[in-house]
Amino acid sequence: MLPEQHDILFSFLSIMFAVFALYVFGNVIQHCREREGINSTLWGGIFGAMAITCFLMTVHMFSLVQGDQLVFFFSTYLWTILFMLLVWGVFFKSNKIERQSAPIIRAFFFYTTISVLLAGYTNWLPQQRSDPPPKEAAVVGDMTMEEFAEMGRVIIFGAKQVAGQKSIGKGQCPLCHTFDPGDHMGRCPNLFGVEKRSHDRVKEDRYATSPVAVGEVEPASGIVKGKHDEVPEEYRRAGGPDEFIGEDYLRESLMCPTCYVVKGFGKANDTKSPMPVIVKPPISLSRVEVNAVVAYLQSKDTPGEFASVTVPLPQDDAGNTGGAVVEEDSGGDEEEGPVFVTGNEDIQTMINTLGCPLCHTIPGVEGAVGELGPKLHEKINAPERIKDPNYKGKATNTKEYVKESILCPGCYVVFNEEAGESYPDGLMPTTFGEQLSVRALDKLVDFISQTEPPAGS
Amino acid sequence: MLGKNTRSIGTLSLGLVLALAIYLIPGMTGIADAKEAFAEQVFAEEAFAKEVQAEEAVEGEGEPEIEWSQDVFYKDWEGNPLKGPVSGYAAPELGPEDYNTYEFAPSRIILWVANQQHLYFGSFVLAVPIFCMIIEFIGIRTRDDDPVMADKYDRLARDLMKVSLTAYSWTAILGGILLFTFITLFPGFFKYMAGIFRPVMHVYALMFLAESGVLYVYYYGWDKMMDDKFLKWIHCSLSVLLNLIGTVLMYLANSWATFMQAPGGIDSEGRFLGNIWHVIHSTLWNPVGVHRILGNIVFGGGIVGAYAAYHYLTAKNEEEKAHYDWVCYVAMFIAIFGLIPLPFAGYWLMKEVYAFRQQMGITLMGGIMAWLFIIQAVMIGLLFFGANSYLHNGMARVKGSHRYMKYCKYMVLLLICCFTMWMTPHTIVMTPAELKEMGGAQHPVVGHFGVMSAKNTAVNLMITCTVLCFLLYQRANKKITVPWATVGNCWITAIFIGAAANIIFLGVYGYFLPANQRVGLSVPQVTSTLTTLFAGTAINISMFKDSESYGDIQWGTQSKVGTYAIFLLAISFTWLMGLMGYIRSSVRLFWHVTEVVRDNSVDAYTLTIGEAGKMLTFNALFVWVQFVVVFWVGSLTAKKIPAKAPEGVPVPAQQQQ
Repeated sequence: MLPEQHDILFSFLSIMFAVFALYVFGNVIQHCREREGINSTLWGGIFGAMAITCFLMTVHMFSLVQGDQLVFFFSTYLWTILFMLLVWGVFFKSNKIERQSAPIIRAFFFYTTISVLLAGYTNWLPQQRSDPPPKEAAVVGDMTMEEFAEMGRVIIFGAKQVAGQKSIGKGQCPLCHTFDPGDHMGRCPNLFGVEKRSHDRVKEDRYATSPVAVGEVEPASGIVKGKHDEVPEEYRRAGGPDEFIGEDYLRESLMCPTCYVVKGFGKANDTKSPMPVIVKPPISLSRVEVNAVVAYLQSKDTPGEFASVTVPLPQDDAGNTGGAVVEEDSGGDEEEGPVFVTGNEDIQTMINTLGCPLCHTIPGVEGAVGELGPKLHEKINAPERIKDPNYKGKATNTKEYVKESILCPGCYVVFNEEAGESYPDGLMPTTFGEQLSVRALDKLVDFISQTEPPAGS
Repeated sequence: MLGKNTRSIGTLSLGLVLALAIYLIPGMTGIADAKEAFAEQVFAEEAFAKEVQAEEAVEGEGEPEIEWSQDVFYKDWEGNPLKGPVSGYAAPELGPEDYNTYEFAPSRIILWVANQQHLYFGSFVLAVPIFCMIIEFIGIRTRDDDPVMADKYDRLARDLMKVSLTAYSWTAILGGILLFTFITLFPGFFKYMAGIFRPVMHVYALMFLAESGVLYVYYYGWDKMMDDKFLKWIHCSLSVLLNLIGTVLMYLANSWATFMQAPGGIDSEGRFLGNIWHVIHSTLWNPVGVHRILGNIVFGGGIVGAYAAYHYLTAKNEEEKAHYDWVCYVAMFIAIFGLIPLPFAGYWLMKEVYAFRQQMGITLMGGIMAWLFIIQAVMIGLLFFGANSYLHNGMARVKGSHRYMKYCKYMVLLLICCFTMWMTPHTIVMTPAELKEMGGAQHPVVGHFGVMSAKNTAVNLMITCTVLCFLLYQRANKKITVPWATVGNCWITAIFIGAAANIIFLGVYGYFLPANQRVGLSVPQVTSTLTTLFAGTAINISMFKDSESYGDIQWGTQSKVGTYAIFLLAISFTWLMGLMGYIRSSVRLFWHVTEVVRDNSVDAYTLTIGEAGKMLTFNALFVWVQFVVVFWVGSLTAKKIPAKAPEGVPVPAQQQQ
């Protein structure tokens, strides 16, 4: 359900509670009519009022959106129902009625309690929403090799990493492969050192013959093994040496996993790879994406060094027909998926999801060392900026300033003293109002309002 | 089990389980090969015929040449993709105009509710005829020996059918709602599916007519076919026919879902390749079918059990209480009978999923869906607690059970330990600070219980414990008199101790093996568990020969805890069924048809576990509200015949004698 919609479960429960209140009212009236000496006006009035209250509360539930519904349900409605149950018990007790609530009511509460506890359990577990990957990763203008390899890393691991949980990007590689030295728990070969192996492997005897011989077509992928110039044109290497090089082996492994199966990791006596052809659905990497992954694989074992990378950058790639979408602020699997932060996430996840660390340095948020925007030391900075004569906004305190900055980044553009000019206006997205629930915004504002430079800096 | 002749029924149960196992095992081992071989043969013949026709057409009238394309799933003997004539349009690239929405809820959620409610009711109405068939058959078979019991069985079958009749109409209405939801909210996708499955949909509708016809004759002809022995057999045969048609219906509907998850019979562009059987008989069709049949039995047993438990609580007199207590027992027996082989059908399904696309299997078991399997583990734990609680409480009403009641607390303790181990997660999401504090993604001590070695050990011990509990329940009022009683008891003890020791040893041994070898240990562990089930039950039943009774089972004295254990089982079945359905369906991630038709709607994301959990709870509660309404409607036509046991007949059945 979207945040602006009703919560289907709690809306349903509120209706059921209203029906239950009506049932209780009817039950009390019935007992009053069956027995003499019961003050039917008093009890009828009490339970009638409760039934009306429950009805009104149910109506009220439908005027709320789901976050508020949840709060109202647990803070008010549930307690009203429990109070009504208590009063109902008092009614039975005080009038010495032995045949009390019908089994259907007990069963209803039993079922509801068990089911809601199960729903509660699922909400207690880590929450991770999986958005569909973009159809094609975007490339922003000219790239450096570092950025290109980073693009490959994001395709493999995704932009968002959560501690303690395997992070998986569009390529889905970490589902099976491991990447750290000594980690052999994966279902498929460890890719540490794959750059070096890519040069050696093509010289092995086994590569020449198994499972298909060099020069033969591998049926599942349609790729001619060991022939870089017979790779489908849209993925074929443009330029470079004539022989089959390490880059070609890596590309072939991605496009034709069964062209060579590492011993112990294949099916049918290591003649079939369980790996999908990654240029076909469901992964369907484009030429630029395949090259980015190859660039990452070639460079990952030597951080900061890109000498071993042989794939061309997109802007230098003669074979790149410009299929990649050019779009600002792109990266990995985050661009096209609808981003929404509910406020139930922890602050680190929220900030990562919104992408703040890409531009801002935020104390207390690991990895938030962006330089494109001002450092967020708002506990100190915000009061000063409000006093700035150039400030034309409406905020009167830190929290209001932070909220205004998030929702209306152009209301006040911070001056970059180091560069001697303002930070670029219009760089920060203006869509955060659509990506944050009220609760999330408050949580974010509370956090950022407290940010200050680390002690000693 | 269900009547006086325990041995024959016990043997029947054993036979049915074995028959099921025999049915499953070849499928689990050779289904893929067989399918490929068959597909290849059929396709080769068809392809040849079409090729000839095409050539003739080209030579003769100059008609356009038939385009051939590769199947996305089926392969020939050499592992090459099968080729087929393109006979349909390519899958559409769906855009915003292909999705309609309401403001109050996302389309996908609305479709989920419509689908799940229809499936719940469909499951119930398919399960009840299976119960009726078995119960009516037992009634006919026992008529000569025990006419009173035979009447009881017959009445029970009929009562169930009456409830099912109302539910049947309800199911059809929900099916209509589902269809309209599909057409109105996902018109683009539905158009594609209708293009592929056009003939299947018509056959489905016709089968529905046949099902309705047989159902009405079966129910409304009950009285007329009651007295004549031959006609009664005809009547019972109608229930077989009813189940056959119902199964065909279910399999046809399954083909749409299995095609969406693991398509076959089309090329990579989604074009139909001319063989409708390939489209229907995609790789998951058989395992999903078997899994659903068993699931329906379990779910149906849960509903009937809860229905009987409710009537037990509201019973006005002792006879009624005794009757519904007995019905509870029958329903629970059937449910657990279906539950035991269910995991094996699940294994088969997962095996086929892995065979289709390994990354799909890994997404399920180790990717974004992995937490849902932890929830499944919790649900299974709940089921075991519920089942054991019911058996423990049920044992209390059996005279002579005091000999075994003292073991119950140890069994509960074992279940708690195993359950805790079973639901220990492998890794949990943490902040970097928490990660650092714990020294890694896994806890240094508790983390050891999060791996499969520990979990397989835990769940096998839980099943073994439940089997033991069941055996004790069986013999609770028996005084064993066979001369080989001591030997028999020693064998049973040895089997259980040996199985437990083997399960634990293999579990510990698994820690010292690499992952790919460790996986293989689950087979001997499961074998140990099944040995206790089959060998233990067989020896146990054999020892009942000429046994003396400590006394009758006091039907109608079930404790409230035992009754609520049935409610717990029923709601757990419902929730679990929804959960597993959600997992199976959502593993397609952002595809309507895996790798062929991409879901380009705004709802293409995978829900968080919490959102999914709330939907599951809503669906489970909503369907039970409907069941209450349906049962109430069914009861409006009930003739109030007090359930009275004739004098001199134990009340109502002495299933243990």
